[in-house]
Amino acid sequence: MEEDVVFDEGTPLFVQIAEQLSGQIADGTLAEGERVPSSNEFAAFLRINPATAAKGINVLVDDGLLEKRRGIGMFVVRGARQQILQRRRGQFTEQFVAPMLAEAGRLGIGREELFDLIDHTQPTTQGAQRP
Amino acid sequence: MTPVIRTERLTRQYRGQRALDDVTVEFQRDTITGLLGRNGAGKSTLMKVITGQEFPSSGSVTVFGQNPLENDGVLRRMAFVKESQQYPDIKVRHAIEAASWFFPNWDADLAEQLLDEFALPRKRRIKKLSRGMHSAVGIVIGLAARAEITLFDEPYLGLDAVSRQNFYDRLLADYAEHPRTILLSTHLIDEVANLLEHVVVIDQGRIKIDAPADDLRGTAVTVVGPSRSVDSFVDGHEVWHRGGIGSLATVTIAGPIANGQRATARDLGLDLEPVSLQQLVVHAAGTEQAGAR
Amino acid sequence: MSTTTIATSRRASTLDAIVKVGRLHLIDRVSYAVLPWGILAFTFLVNVVIFSLVPAPPEGFYTGSLLSIYIFMIVLGVLSMTKAVPFAFTLGVSRRTYYLGTVGLAVATSAVWAALLTALWAIEGWTDGWGLQMHLFRVPWVFDGPWYQVLLTSFVLLVTMFLAGMWYGLANRRWGITGVLALTAALVVVVLILIVAIILTDSWSAVGRYLGDLDLVGATGIIALIAVVLGLCGFATIRRITT
Repeated sequence: MEEDVVFDEGTPLFVQIAEQLSGQIADGTLAEGERVPSSNEFAAFLRINPATAAKGINVLVDDGLLEKRRGIGMFVVRGARQQILQRRRGQFTEQFVAPMLAEAGRLGIGREELFDLIDHTQPTTQGAQRP
Repeated sequence: MTPVIRTERLTRQYRGQRALDDVTVEFQRDTITGLLGRNGAGKSTLMKVITGQEFPSSGSVTVFGQNPLENDGVLRRMAFVKESQQYPDIKVRHAIEAASWFFPNWDADLAEQLLDEFALPRKRRIKKLSRGMHSAVGIVIGLAARAEITLFDEPYLGLDAVSRQNFYDRLLADYAEHPRTILLSTHLIDEVANLLEHVVVIDQGRIKIDAPADDLRGTAVTVVGPSRSVDSFVDGHEVWHRGGIGSLATVTIAGPIANGQRATARDLGLDLEPVSLQQLVVHAAGTEQAGAR
Repeated sequence: MSTTTIATSRRASTLDAIVKVGRLHLIDRVSYAVLPWGILAFTFLVNVVIFSLVPAPPEGFYTGSLLSIYIFMIVLGVLSMTKAVPFAFTLGVSRRTYYLGTVGLAVATSAVWAALLTALWAIEGWTDGWGLQMHLFRVPWVFDGPWYQVLLTSFVLLVTMFLAGMWYGLANRRWGITGVLALTAALVVVVLILIVAIILTDSWSAVGRYLGDLDLVGATGIIALIAVVLGLCGFATIRRITT
């Protein structure tokens, strides 16, 4: 977690924390079996209320992505990454494909041109803009 | 969730002015609650009544289930840090030492650390300190007291942004290690937005908002885009604010916005910007919301 | 815990808090020890110098320097109810505890000072007025009898001065300077009414005889009564104080 974290004010904070954590599990920054920082550590680092941090972590615990090992801490469950990627696949169409098609439509970019762009464009590593 | 402070139809009238008007509110144990509002809204008065320093004109207040007025047992479990706190003509270290006698949970090591962090000269008389340092003394006492209920009433008068952030960080860190009930009143809302678990907004002595901070996020949204598209989108929504330049319109409306509507906005080429807690509070303070709970 | 244990522990912690209030005032050691006695020592020396240069009249030298100690007590009383009050409130002290703590300090300080004054009074007697026939501590009629009377009268007077100062400070805090003036005016009116009542009921001679017959013990008793009244008035005033 090196880069500065910026929160938007639209969604509840704990949701954003849960999303950030799952993002890190998804791209491998947080490996399976690795220890996740405690809610207090999160809170201090992100400068947020510890209860909010705990709530965000608990979202992932409830989803079965994190498990608590008594006395040691929170750990990423085996298979968590797969689980997240699966879910994101499901959301891929709505979050990325549909907006792209809508924008293409607005700009008058036809199907042929669109496929051409897909073939020749490099993927960027920038995070997606949340709609 | 056990409420540790409760007020019931609390009213404080003074020379015909109602500093507090029929205030019924609860503050939960081991929570950081923000007490927000404009200057003169009633934040300080509420805190003074809770700490037994002001007398209710009518209604009641209970702390730990008891009336705090002249109640040594309850008062000793609270620390109240005000802006512009008056001290006798004593040195910084005397004030810290005196505080250590009265607060049962006092942490002397923490006090020492904080004195160093805020660079407070221990041997200087408090009345000779700059305004920022004067405030820092109160903050040191408030944090090191580790009182079960700690109230901060705009405690950072004169502190620069770096020192303020230092205070928030310290507050959070200590709160994480030693959870307690904290009431923080401020008009610098966006600075503390992420610290708060619960938000209470007061305006003209009345409670306007009393809700968990998470619930408030997304209660309003600002729609930005070409005026015609914006107008068609916001039609049917409660409009809070209209603005714009040329053909560009900026309209703030009450939310929340469903996902389907987000898609619509996208198709119309509109941007949906979140509304900050500060803006929410300003709006709440301006409207005549009777009995908003 | 049984109810009696809770009650005793609560009383113990209140007593504890009362003592702490005393300690709070005493942080200002200079005002409570150095200044008043420093002033007295200074005036004492000045008197000694002057009187040693001038031939002694037959009845000896009389000086009212002792008054400074008593005036200082009033000042201490006033100071105890000014800046320290908001700070004490922040430290979680109730008005009642603060008042009792301060009164306790007044009593303790007066006891110590009275003892010192009595000792000095005795020494003055033994040294025949410091070898100069100076009467500083041996004030005629008031501090003239046996040592225990001097001790008692000093003590009572000192406490009364402190309590008077406390009430003044509290009145100022609660009602401002206009309030204090109003209070003084009210007191004057009360005294006037008393005097008028005495004159109208033609009891002036009776009162005069009573006052004339009053010995030191009786006078001390009346002053003690005034002290109690002042204490109660101060307590009533602090009950509704806000910072």
